[in-house]
Amino acid sequence: MIYLPIAEMPVNVLLVLLVSGAVGFVSGLVGVGGGFIMTPSLIFLGVPAPVAVATGASQIAATSFSGIMTQTRRKAVDWRMGALLSVGGIVGSASGVALFERLLRLGQLDLIISLLYLFLLAGVGYLMTAESYAVWRGRTHRGVSILRRPARTIAHTLPLRMPFPRSGLYISIIPPLALGFAVGALAAIMGIGGGFILIPAMIYLLRMPTNVVIGTSLFQVLIVASLVVILQSTATQTVDLVLAAILMAGGVIGAQFGARVGAGLRNETIRGLLGLILLAASVKFLWDIVVEPEERFVLGGGLW
Amino acid sequence: MVRRLLLLLALLLFVPPARAQNPADIANDLPAAVVEQQISVSSDYRGSFITVFGHNPDRRGRGDIVVVVRGPNVSTVVMRKRREFGLWINGDPVRFAGAPSFFAVLSNRPLPEIASAQLIRRYELDPAASARLESGTGSADPSAYRAALVRLRFAQGLYRWYVGPPTPERRSGLSTYPGGLFLGVVRLPANAPIAQYHADAYMFRDGRLISAQRIPVSVSRVGIERRIHDLATTQSFLYGVVTVLLALFFGWIAALLFRRT
Repeated sequence: MIYLPIAEMPVNVLLVLLVSGAVGFVSGLVGVGGGFIMTPSLIFLGVPAPVAVATGASQIAATSFSGIMTQTRRKAVDWRMGALLSVGGIVGSASGVALFERLLRLGQLDLIISLLYLFLLAGVGYLMTAESYAVWRGRTHRGVSILRRPARTIAHTLPLRMPFPRSGLYISIIPPLALGFAVGALAAIMGIGGGFILIPAMIYLLRMPTNVVIGTSLFQVLIVASLVVILQSTATQTVDLVLAAILMAGGVIGAQFGARVGAGLRNETIRGLLGLILLAASVKFLWDIVVEPEERFVLGGGLW
Repeated sequence: MVRRLLLLLALLLFVPPARAQNPADIANDLPAAVVEQQISVSSDYRGSFITVFGHNPDRRGRGDIVVVVRGPNVSTVVMRKRREFGLWINGDPVRFAGAPSFFAVLSNRPLPEIASAQLIRRYELDPAASARLESGTGSADPSAYRAALVRLRFAQGLYRWYVGPPTPERRSGLSTYPGGLFLGVVRLPANAPIAQYHADAYMFRDGRLISAQRIPVSVSRVGIERRIHDLATTQSFLYGVVTVLLALFFGWIAALLFRRT
């Protein structure tokens, strides 16, 4: 047991290490950031939601930095695109933190977080399950066709176009900025990295080649997560350094093991399983806000 | 004789003004003390106990003892969930200008037998009586909110009431011994806020408050806990930067360690 100075509660170090390790393992296994599993797990362990969201961001920064080191070696980062996404992300996360503070004061933070998680988990869970089901049914050709890049999208027609040599693109800078903004805002409110929204959007909307997508999204996630940590610690003072250190240790180790195990396993099976877990979790979120609560009153207003 | 009277007058003038909740007709002279006046929160903190002991001055052993441990009053909002578009959302807030962040009351027999409801309200001897509504609160029924506040804080372990001595199951309680000695123990859970507390001991006789005593109890962080918290509150930007650097360090180490294979 160790007492967390900001969350003002004792936690079992081994338990938190185990949970963060497990989340890191899953994220390494499937290739997602894991923030969207980590934050609800922390809340489930009794960590106040604001502390869980703000502290989770520091763990995301750690995991994404270790990912970038690997991706840089493979020259799989489009720095120019990453910088644009980050500029959008910086503005987005700043607005997100401001909104977070406002919602906290209004007492509606938990509802908004529940709703966002509901849609996010249901959406991602459905996509993963559907994809792996399709593969399992043997219709692999569909999976291949998804990854084929159509020639032109809105990104090619909007003004303010510039070249992105590493991605081999010549597109408008508006979609990357907007995408960065949206993901940054979500990251600040929900305590997620946002990679699992960024990656599909980069492939389908910006038509980036898949080999640079992961590295570039990691770069944006790192910048945004670091900024969220600094903003949350100045605006709401909900970042717990002790909790963060435990999460980072568990998370990065778990992720490395997960990545290694994942390399030797059938990807569709894992993705399908995770998809089902996410769907189940979204049902739980739905249940909590649809079913009449036993206790009609809640404490709110900034103090938990 | 005159000198004695003067001395008495001087003493009376030097008596500190009585607190708002203890009117001037009550003497703050109940002999009582707290064992743990300084509770330090370090990284292995898992809650604590506050031990209040004292002496009932009544020679014939009459009277009742009530011990209250209070955390600072903080403004608190209680909201009632209501259904909108099929979803249960938080609505109809009622704001309490001040509600105790921690409240534990010990008594040798049930409070209603010791003092009237009026006195319980006046001396704020139960948590519901201690929560002050913000003036100009809307039309919502405040008593339901008051009850909800107590229920929710009880569920968090922050509001407690104990009658009689401790039992093998719980260490909190009030024991009275022949000769007038009393000993109250309150469990301070780990989630109780880190703040300045007060332990109040009251002596009632025949439904009237005879004397009382207030003892401050400070709960504060020490060592690394204190340094981290101070950094987070006074140098919050630097604190954020340190956290990010730590994250980068962890990420770097992990990437280095697992580089091979």
